[in-house]
Formats: sequence, structure tokens, C-alpha cells
Amino acid sequence: MNFVIPSFTPAIPEIVLLTLTSLLLVADTMWSKRYEFATYYATQVILVIVGALILTSFTTETVTTFDGSFVRDAFADILKLAIVVISLGLFLFSKEYLLQAKFYRGEYFTLGLFSVLGMFVMVSAHNLITLYLGLEIMSLAIYTMVAMRKDHSAALEAALKYFVLGALATGMLLYGFSMLYGATGQVAFDAMAAVIDAGEVDHVVLSFAVVFIVIGLAFKLGAVPFHMWVPDVYHGAPTAVTLFIGTAPKIAAFAILYRLLAEALPGAVMDWQPLLVILSVLSLLVGALVPIVQNNLKRLLAYSGIGHIGFLMLGLIAANPDGYASAMVYTLIYAFMGLAAFGLITVLARTGHEFDRVDDFKGMNQRNPWLALMMLFVMFSMAGIPPFIGFYAKVVVIEEVVQAGFVWLAVLAVVSAVISAFYYLRVVKVMYFDAPQDTMKVEPVARHLTWAISLVAVALLVFGLFPSWVIDLGYHSLS
Amino acid sequence: MTFLQFIFYLLAAIAVIAGLKMISVKNPVQAALWLVLAFISTAGIWLIAQAEFLGLALILVYVGAVMVLFLFVVMMLDINVAQFKEGFTRYLPLGVLTAAAIFALMYLVLGPQRFGLEQVTPPKSLAEAESNTLALAIPLYTEHVYAFILAAVLLLVGIVAAITLTLRRRPNTEVLYQDIDQQIKTRAEDRFEMVKMPPTVEQPLPEKEKEE
Amino acid sequence: MIALSDYLIFGAILFMISMAGIFLNRKNVIVLLMSIELLLLAVNTNLIAFSHYLGDVTGQIFVFFILTVAAAEAAVGLAIIVLVFRNRKTINVDDLSTIKG
Repeated sequence: MNFVIPSFTPAIPEIVLLTLTSLLLVADTMWSKRYEFATYYATQVILVIVGALILTSFTTETVTTFDGSFVRDAFADILKLAIVVISLGLFLFSKEYLLQAKFYRGEYFTLGLFSVLGMFVMVSAHNLITLYLGLEIMSLAIYTMVAMRKDHSAALEAALKYFVLGALATGMLLYGFSMLYGATGQVAFDAMAAVIDAGEVDHVVLSFAVVFIVIGLAFKLGAVPFHMWVPDVYHGAPTAVTLFIGTAPKIAAFAILYRLLAEALPGAVMDWQPLLVILSVLSLLVGALVPIVQNNLKRLLAYSGIGHIGFLMLGLIAANPDGYASAMVYTLIYAFMGLAAFGLITVLARTGHEFDRVDDFKGMNQRNPWLALMMLFVMFSMAGIPPFIGFYAKVVVIEEVVQAGFVWLAVLAVVSAVISAFYYLRVVKVMYFDAPQDTMKVEPVARHLTWAISLVAVALLVFGLFPSWVIDLGYHSLS
Repeated sequence: MTFLQFIFYLLAAIAVIAGLKMISVKNPVQAALWLVLAFISTAGIWLIAQAEFLGLALILVYVGAVMVLFLFVVMMLDINVAQFKEGFTRYLPLGVLTAAAIFALMYLVLGPQRFGLEQVTPPKSLAEAESNTLALAIPLYTEHVYAFILAAVLLLVGIVAAITLTLRRRPNTEVLYQDIDQQIKTRAEDRFEMVKMPPTVEQPLPEKEKEE
Repeated sequence: MIALSDYLIFGAILFMISMAGIFLNRKNVIVLLMSIELLLLAVNTNLIAFSHYLGDVTGQIFVFFILTVAAAEAAVGLAIIVLVFRNRKTINVDDLSTIKG
């Protein structure tokens, strides 16, 4: 038995993140009374350090280490950078909300960092075991963050629903994993793909495994018909946590979807492609029709998020590198738009007033014209109106799915985009043409939040004017 | 039927019955105890499959720790058992039909025609001295060391999460807390004060007391 | 000699029982958590049976990690249940769906 010490270099960002987070966990208990916001600032500093580490060691080649349980490639690096950037925004928008909602605690930030670590592990997972552990690290931290507002009964109910359905989804996924292990005798993705390629696998067992895996992933992503938890959790969770759930974890979820379906199971494409088509069609329909009747903005965005998941799957259905790249572009842009949309609701919340109903935005133009404009940017981008970046996200996935020969699916996607534009525009209409219920000026608690939210919202326009930069990011890393 | 097969089917039957009882009894304490039975008999099945370490770990970790935690919580919550309805009445027929249909599909895939004795190469019999613990331990600390560290992180997250959620700070008037910050900052002067006092001369006891 | 199919069918039965426990359960949430534990037990039995027949220890290592995670998950789940009970004085499944659109 000779054991070679694995190379730690590719995993330095993760190692640094884990070390600093553990230190912060200890430090937080010491300094939380003396320096009120020390943990928050330390969190941001840690994220910046980790982001800088990834950026300076950015690699375009594929490196595996730890006996093939960890992989680092351009795909992983770009997704991790995106997670870091979005998390910086998440914590920035959350801080004042936590103070307003009176559950500001250091653990919120340490658990947030742990869940970022879990996302990193998912993005870099190269066998079933590490993928599962990363998923659980992320999920446990997020369940806790939802339940942290202990006096708020809706938040607790949301936490319980999220927990039970999350655990159920993991159980389904694991059952699929166990069959996959039984069919191939492997847990590492590349070895699994090789065994399937060699044709040594009983195909029926493989498709059986794929069914459970796709159901588990659909639960996690919130694709119809496994979506029933999404609106309740988004609605019940404190807005800062909804902001968290709706953005960065989507990137990690896309990563595991890609790693499992495209890296480990390319040989079973005939099995998972039809399943994804069903999920995608249903998600597009629900995402287009149900939000029309919603009055709670968080709930509306939750349903519209289901529609976005439907779009994201279009790229995967194409089942070729270009298709995966388009899905990656869509995921990144969707996460960024989510940051802007939920961020805006988060920063406007005050003690005792959540500011999350569509009615709250009535006459926003008179109460704060600049923020109304920012909200208009976000809604236009989500609806996919050019020249905002959301338009190009939709264009690339539809283009890929047409090239793969699913023209009817593309038509359905366009129809769904047109219908969903209706409810995004309803929010805009409410802001500009309805009389305000309350003429008092609304603005974020702190001035820097106006700047931050404006930066994010204007970025949606700027990226939309120069879309090739964002699109190339996806295509260069995967094609 | 060999003796081993008899034991296997017996344990499997016990586990299945215990599982069914677990989801159908009214009282959560009884449900937890039925689950314990299911765990113990499944641990026996794992032993038959030559996974000795995990079989024992299942009893120690699950029955010994996790199920005790469940029972603790059930006791702590002081749930009114009478308020629970008699389980599933409304959806039962439909549910049983669906479950049977799905199970039939699973049986077609997992049944003997695909995974029977004739279809699958039999496992190689292990030497008597071969240790399952050793066989598990070596890859655990070499090949899967990354996953092992991640499991440690996960347990840390679990600890932080459980404490964050359940710790209740009572007001200082009810319970006294240590404030380490302040404890470190205290100096001798805060605790101990030297007071100059005029010396007092001891008075001789009155005569009366002396006599007594 | 016990056939691999026997182990797998046993796993499938446990899986179906736990699914029934989750979807048909109109009682308390703790039984829901117990059903999830039963689901993981089914998965673990599958993995161990495959590991036994493949003569490959990786499956057992996977089980080792699933046991670890399940323990941590149970702790967090029970903590959430305790909070819900403190807040609502009930853990009845029917009483716990008040969020509506």
C-alpha cells in the first residue's frame, strides 16, 4: 500500500475559505459584543480574498486531485467566481435587513460562508460522494438560515417545508446514486462515463437510476411537477434569506446538473433528455401562467423562477457542449437578475414592514423615481426585453435548442416568454401609472445600499449593451 | 432454504413489519421504537452482507444516538397524542394503489430475472481473518480523505446550526451568564479594595460573662 | 447464499414504506423525519448489497458518509421542529400550511 500525498494546490481557495471561516466562527464569539459588525466585514474580506485567489490561479486546463474526487477547470473557476461575486452582494444587502428584522447574528454570516464552501465543493465535485457532501453542507446551512428568525412563524414553517422536501429530494437522489453505483460499479464521474461507453452496463438499470436522479435534481431545482415547496419557501423565508436561496445555490445546482448529466452520464442521454423535456415544458407553462395572479412579489418571483428553470433546461436538452454553455450563461445571468430583484425588495424592508407586495410598489415613481427606474430595469431584464441582458440569455438557449432540432420546444419557450412579460410589465405599470397608497418617500435604510442596488441594476443594462463578453465566458469554458 | 436464508428472510420480515407499524401508529414514541426495531433488524441484514463495521455502526450511531435524540425531542415537546388523527384515511386507497404500481415497476427492474443468483457473479468469499474495518479504513483515509474532511465540515455545520437554532438567551435576571470579555478585563483593583481602618483595641470581656 | 435481488427488493420495500410515510402522513412532522431516515436506510442497504456483490469497498464508504450526514441532518431537523413547536404549540402536518398565495 503506497500512498502518495495528493496535490493541494488546486484546492487552495477551498482550503483558505474553510480555514478563515473556522477562524471567524471562533472570533465571532469573542468580538461580537465589542465590535458589532466585525463579523460582517470579516465575511466580506474573506470572500474578496477567496475571489482573488481563484482569479490569480485561474486555469483553463482540467486538473484533478485527491484521487479524482476534486476537479478544477475553467467551468469550475468561472462558476466559483460568480458565486463569490453574488455572495458579496448577498451579504451586503442582507446586513441592514437583518438589523431591521431584529435577527442580526454572527452565525448568519458564518453559516453563509459555510454554504458558499458547500457550493464550491459541488461545483468541483468529481465523484458521487463529494457531490453529495457538498450538497448537504450547503443545504444544512441554508435550512438554518431560513429558521434563524425564531419569532417569525411563517419563516419557521418555510424552514420546515424546505427541510422536509430537501431531505426527500436528497433521498431520491441517493437512491438513484445507489442504482448508478450498482449498474457501473464506480463512483467517479469519468470512470462511470467510461464504463457506460464501453457498453458493459445493463441499460434498464441505468435508466432506472437516471429517473431517480432526475427527480431528485428536479426537486432541488424546483422544476414542475416537483415545485410545490418553492413559492411557500420563498414567501415565508425572511427576504434576505430568500435572496440567498434564489441566487447563488442555483449556480451550484446547475453545476451538479452538468457534472452528473453531461460528465458522468453522457451515455444515458436518451434516458434523461425526454425527462428534461417534460420538466422543461411543464416549468415553462407554470412559470408563465401562475405568476399572473400573485400579489406577493416574492411569490411572483418564485413562480417566475420556475419558468427560468424551464429555460435553463432548454440548454441542457440540446445535450452538446454549446447547449451546456448556453445553459451556463443563462444560469449566471439568472442568478445576477435574482440578486437585483430580491436585493431591491430586501433593501426596502423596514422593521414591521416587509415591502414585498406588488401593492407596495404602487406609485413608486412618485415616491422614489430613481429606484422605480432600477426596478424597471430588473423587470425588463427578467422579461427578456432588449437591450437588457436577460434578452440575450433567452436568445442563446433558444438558439441552441433549435439547432438541436427541438423547434416546437423553442416556439413554446418564446410563447412562454411573451406571456410572462405580461406580469413583469404589470409591476412596471403599477409603479408608473397607479396612485401611491402612501406618499411618503421610500428609500433604503442606508445610502450605500442605493448605490449598490443601482450598480447591480445598471449592470443588467450595461451587460446587455455588450452581451458578447458574458456569452463568451460560458462558451469558452465549455465548448 | 439454508439457515442463512432463513435468518435473512426473518430479519427482512421484521424490518418491513416494523416499518409499516412506524408509519401507522398514532403515538410518536411508539413510532420511534418501531423504527429502532427496523434499524436493528436491518443491521443484521448488513452483517449477512459482510458489512460488519457498518452494521455495528448503525446500531451504535442510529439506535444509540439518533433515535435517542428523536425520543428526547418527542418527550421534550410534550405533544398531545390525542390530537393526532388516525393517520391516513382520506388518501389511503389511492396511495396504496400508487405504491403498489410503483413497487411492481421496481420489482421488474430489481427482481430475480435481472439480479437473481444465476444472473450475477457471486461475491468472492472473504478469508476468515479479513477485517472489514481495515478494508474500510484504508481507502477512507487515503483515497477518500477529501470526503472525510468534508464530513468533518458537515458535522461542524450541524453543530453550529443546532446550537444557533435552539439556544435561548434568557434575561440576565433569570440566569447568570459568564461574560468572558469582562472577566478578562477585570483587574485586581475592581475586585479587592484595600481600606484603611483605624485599629481597634480588643476590649476585655465584661466581668459577668466571665463568671458564667 | 442470498441473491442480490433479495437485498434490492428489501430495499425497494423500505423505500415504498418511507414514501407512503411521507406522502400519506397527516400526523406529526416527527414521523415525517423518521420516514426520511427509513428512506436513507433503504439506500444504504442497496449500496451495501452492491458493494458485497461487486467486491468493492467504495459502496460501504459511501454508506459511512450517508450515516454521518443523516445524523447531522436529523439534529438540524429536530432543532427546526423544536422551534416550530415553541412558536405554534403544534407539529401537526395539517396545521403547518398557513402560507398561501
